[in-house]
Amino acid sequence: MNKIYTSLILVFALIVMWTVYLTNIKNDDSLTVRYYTIEELSTKQVSIPNVKVGGLIKPNSININEKDQLEVSFYVYQGSDSLKVHYYGIRPDLFKDDAEVIVAGAFDDDLIVATELQTKCASRYEGDLKNIEKI
Amino acid sequence: MISQIGSLALSISGGLILSNFFFLFYYSIRKDKIFLNVSERGLIAVCFCVILATLCLLNELLISNFNLQYVSQYTSYETPLFFKVTALWAGQAGSLLFWTFIMSLYSLIYINVTLKKMPTLKYSSYIILSFIFGFFLLLSNFIANPFQPVSSDIIVQNGNGLNPLLQNVTMAIHPPTLYLGFIGTTILFVMALAGLISKSLNFEWIQSIRRWSLIVWTFLSGGIILGGYWAYNELGWGGYWAWDPVENSSLMPWLILTAFIHSSMIQEKRGMLKSWNILLAASTFLLVILGTFITRSGIVSSVHSFTAENLGPLFLAFLSSLILFTGYWFVKRFDTLKSDNKIDSFTSREGGFLYNNLILLLMCFIVLWGTLFPIFSEAWNGEKIYVGATYFNQLNVPIGLVLLFLMGIGPLLSWKTTSRHTLLSNLKIPMLVSFFSGVIYSIFFGPFQLYPLVTCMGISFTTTSIINEFRKSYKKSKSNSKSIPSAIVSMLFSNRHKNGGYIVHIGITLLFVGFIGRAFEVEKEFNLSPGEEIYFANYIFKLNSIKSEARDNHYAFISDIDVIDQSNNLLTSLRPEKRIYFYWNPDPEKRQPHSELDIYSTMRKDIYSIFSAYDAEKNQGYFKIMINPLVNWVWVGGIVMVIGSLFAFWPSKRRDHGII
Repeated sequence: MNKIYTSLILVFALIVMWTVYLTNIKNDDSLTVRYYTIEELSTKQVSIPNVKVGGLIKPNSININEKDQLEVSFYVYQGSDSLKVHYYGIRPDLFKDDAEVIVAGAFDDDLIVATELQTKCASRYEGDLKNIEKI
Repeated sequence: MISQIGSLALSISGGLILSNFFFLFYYSIRKDKIFLNVSERGLIAVCFCVILATLCLLNELLISNFNLQYVSQYTSYETPLFFKVTALWAGQAGSLLFWTFIMSLYSLIYINVTLKKMPTLKYSSYIILSFIFGFFLLLSNFIANPFQPVSSDIIVQNGNGLNPLLQNVTMAIHPPTLYLGFIGTTILFVMALAGLISKSLNFEWIQSIRRWSLIVWTFLSGGIILGGYWAYNELGWGGYWAWDPVENSSLMPWLILTAFIHSSMIQEKRGMLKSWNILLAASTFLLVILGTFITRSGIVSSVHSFTAENLGPLFLAFLSSLILFTGYWFVKRFDTLKSDNKIDSFTSREGGFLYNNLILLLMCFIVLWGTLFPIFSEAWNGEKIYVGATYFNQLNVPIGLVLLFLMGIGPLLSWKTTSRHTLLSNLKIPMLVSFFSGVIYSIFFGPFQLYPLVTCMGISFTTTSIINEFRKSYKKSKSNSKSIPSAIVSMLFSNRHKNGGYIVHIGITLLFVGFIGRAFEVEKEFNLSPGEEIYFANYIFKLNSIKSEARDNHYAFISDIDVIDQSNNLLTSLRPEKRIYFYWNPDPEKRQPHSELDIYSTMRKDIYSIFSAYDAEKNQGYFKIMINPLVNWVWVGGIVMVIGSLFAFWPSKRRDHGII
């Protein structure tokens, strides 16, 4: 009986250790992606194959290719720092100036070539009041 | 006026909770029943005050009282009536009040039904309930008050309106269903702790908490599936599960609750695993609060954003105090949690449940670890590292498959012990069927992919085993009744607990059928002008036209795409739309584009179409088409699961047998 208990606990412990190994020790780009702040990246001069960045879309920076509307470039900013992002593909509906986005992709020389572009899903709609008149 | 009443009701309920602590304190000193009764009335009054406040807010939403900040933020005159109602839980303040509202409904049932039967639980239940109510009322009164008026120097002519993504019937049902599940865990927590503190973990207690857990499980499962259904049909990324922190937060309590439902059966039948069950029941609620903390603090970046006011620290403090409370009483009462029996053999029903618990717990750990990993890694070396879907799938898929097979073995095991010989002879047919289904799958659905193959074998294994169980009990009941239908009915109703469980298991195997499809999804993005066509995945997609139309609350570009199959027959016409909500707004920034999908859906596959952009100058549309096999099985599986658990929950005339 005790043998079975021990082996069960062993299996449990092994899987737990495997989990920790996968996330922490094994350097696998397909499993983990590091989240950078825009400030961190904008001072870096290296190329990183796998980054994740969150920020706001700089107003008037969205530039859609006239020949192919799926191609877009824009700037994300956070405070005073900003980064150029290039993306090809279908854009989320909420993609517009000052929208909060998360981009993931490769970083090289001040440019993020994004493979993933997500706007924050508006599970909640917390907009500013409009149609208001000051008395 | 009505809003003042609502606001007042909220304040009064806060005051009542405060006074409740005094009454309970007096009761603990004087042991005079009258104080306990007063605090019971107090709690009931709190519940009614909260219900009244919720009705008041609902009224304000319906009459569009834009003097309230909440009403003006989430509705407008154009918002359809139905969605004015759903705006009740669309934002932070409203959803917190709605949370307390549901908690009130549950508490009323708990106080008036459950506690009437088990008066020993009253005192500790009232303390815990008052504490939890106190926390939520604190939030609603001081931090996120839904009755907050707009600042006095502005007049709101029209409100913001509800996000178009939320203007969808599923989205109207999904949050309340999930809430019913989430908040139901409160009762499990209260009951577990009250039973522990008052040392009344008897047979009646376990039966009652099991019934509660089934209700909560039904709502939680339904809520999660509906959320997936909404995401699939509305969001336009073609999937239903993304391992996002917010989704994970709902999965973790589900996994632990599922574990509890199984392990509590061991306590019901054999008086074992008492301490374990207490921990599981309490953890479901703790995980719900943890999930709420994750989603409302913004500590982990998620595509779902809820953060308006930062409630993170408050929820963290609440969670910590609950954990400390649970831990304290668990240690203090540990000696009362001894098992009445010991496990005789691991090839027994209780052994099977033990494996099941182990696996579910592991899955929960993996999900928890992955969700919180950015926090851990940041604390460890300052780098915020996220794990993606690959991590979750790599670990959870194989473990889930073991669970799938276990669902087929479990019913074959009997309590106490099963001889190896009986088990093997029972396993023969399921194993054979599983093997042949694997062979058939490999022949007809190559090329070889490990997981789909194993899943297919697991599904047939488990289904055969369950059907075999049904067949056996059908034989038994047939000898007693004359006609076939009456035999089936009497078989099903003879042991609803067990049969309901089997139906749930069949539902889960159907879910797995849907999961197989994920391995075979394909997609393509392209642009077309009217008259043009494109060939993809053995279909021809031909764009006939793009029309435009002004509708009640939006402006729509409507495409018309013919889907032609290999034998040149018209399979269907897809009409995905690009809509612009608030198009009348002079400020283009305030207009809200929205892609309305069109899905051609069959049990075999879905053809999923998205109209992503329209170039008016070139009269050209940008589309995305996805072929998603077997998705419908997920929804069917979900429905079967809910039906099964309702069936198990429905009270049966025959009282279940006592401890074996």
